[in-house]
Amino acid sequence: MNLILTLRVLVNGVLFGTTYGIAAVGLSLIFGTMRIIFFAQGTFIIFFAYISYWLLTLLGIDPYLSLIIVIPASMLLGSALYYGIFKEAAANEDKNISLLLAIGLMYLMENFMLVVWTPDPRSVVTSYTTLVFRPFGIVIPFTRLTTLFIAVLTAAGVFIFLKKTLIGTAVRAASEDVVSTTLMGINPNWVNAVAFAIGIGLAGVAGVALATIYPFDPSYGFIFAIKALIALALGGIGNVYGALLGGILLGLIESLGSFYVGGGWADAISYGVFLLVLIFRPQGLFGGSIKKA
Amino acid sequence: MANQLLEVKSVDVFYGDVQALWEVSIQVEEGTIVALVGANGAGKTTLLKTISGINSAARGEILFSGEHLENLKPQNVVDRGIMHVPEGRRLFANLTVLENLRLGAYVPRARPFFAESLERSFTLFPVLQTRKNQKAGSLSGGEQQMLAIARALMGRPKLLMLDEPSLGLSPIFVKTIFELISTLNEQKATILLVEQNINQALKIAHQAYVLKTGKIVMSGAGNELLADEEIRKAYIGERVGRRQR
Repeated sequence: MNLILTLRVLVNGVLFGTTYGIAAVGLSLIFGTMRIIFFAQGTFIIFFAYISYWLLTLLGIDPYLSLIIVIPASMLLGSALYYGIFKEAAANEDKNISLLLAIGLMYLMENFMLVVWTPDPRSVVTSYTTLVFRPFGIVIPFTRLTTLFIAVLTAAGVFIFLKKTLIGTAVRAASEDVVSTTLMGINPNWVNAVAFAIGIGLAGVAGVALATIYPFDPSYGFIFAIKALIALALGGIGNVYGALLGGILLGLIESLGSFYVGGGWADAISYGVFLLVLIFRPQGLFGGSIKKA
Repeated sequence: MANQLLEVKSVDVFYGDVQALWEVSIQVEEGTIVALVGANGAGKTTLLKTISGINSAARGEILFSGEHLENLKPQNVVDRGIMHVPEGRRLFANLTVLENLRLGAYVPRARPFFAESLERSFTLFPVLQTRKNQKAGSLSGGEQQMLAIARALMGRPKLLMLDEPSLGLSPIFVKTIFELISTLNEQKATILLVEQNINQALKIAHQAYVLKTGKIVMSGAGNELLADEEIRKAYIGERVGRRQR
């Protein structure tokens, strides 16, 4: 019985951690080319959760089906954000300007959402929200399983893009040495815009996935950004693959922590792990190293 | 007058308030090797960076095939046909040899010729073919320099700028690199070469400029400068004959 319970906790941890994971992959990509932690990432995740909520309640579009709209729209928004807000700052040696813009954007979005959707938590309720599977007595909600499936597909898509396409290769190269990429004739704005498009695109996917699992309110964005940052630190800042694993690991830590220590301790434990990793293994847990900025 | 591919005219460059180049003028004739020599900090690297658009010129003109480069961004300079192999090579260490080469041919002008350029690179540097799926960071220093040059050649440059290609290499690789530069030149490549290895550089250069504290203090045919004892003492001085690092 105890084994079943532990398994249930572990499975839940993995299932929720994948959402952190895709958020962290987005953070990692934007950090790679822009050299900033994009703090507004979590707020955009909540924003897309609301979009999914609106598409369902106003137009009756199923959340999973809404991905067909949300993914391209969020990618477009991402590149528009870069060209509209970050392009000038990106050319500046001083990365603090970009960082402050990201934090400002986070507060702007959060307040925008408070005005439009109020601080009351919303949730996306569908016919399958309460659907669960019970393999070997482990309770697995359908929505979490779908989230895992979507996360794996999305991550695979991003990794294939980075590995197989020329522009993907350029994005990886820029995360190593931006000046050297310009000497190859690669426009740094184009690379940054692609990183932003994918980063916000991933926020779109994570937002829809989150909406199907949990109730959410505007303030949850900041917490989510911090969680994605912890996942990033666990995986190694600058390591895109590690970010996904870091997210899953964080999900496991939280799930185990709230089960064995108590619900209120889950956050304290994950922040504690965050600090310990930063102090003792700042390059992350998965071998990668911090790139020279 | 011979066909000048690159003309730098009275260029001043500043780092903040500090002036790094003073009215520097050089000419690179098509099909030749031009060497920039001088001590550390003389401004050789600064000049290359100014041509490739990483630094900007406060005054003066840079003409490439008659077209102004001074206000172009680095990626647009590459587009015009100048490939710059920077000091320290700056390879993408976590990318494979092949991925590095693919990015070398990134510009639209070079991309359609990728397969052809790749074959040429592998003919020039067979070792790169055997290591094509290895990460660039895992190559030896000499191999990395070969990759850096091969990557630049993938961009089908009309002008190839090499910054200290022999720095930090073993004597055997230094010899290989200088032979390679001559070979490339025989195949019609125009090369602007920055070197601390002054003897070797002057031997292969058709034309050479001596930079000292940001100014051109002497110019002439490579072997003339090499032969002139006075010049060697005055401007190249203590570096001649001393073993290179």
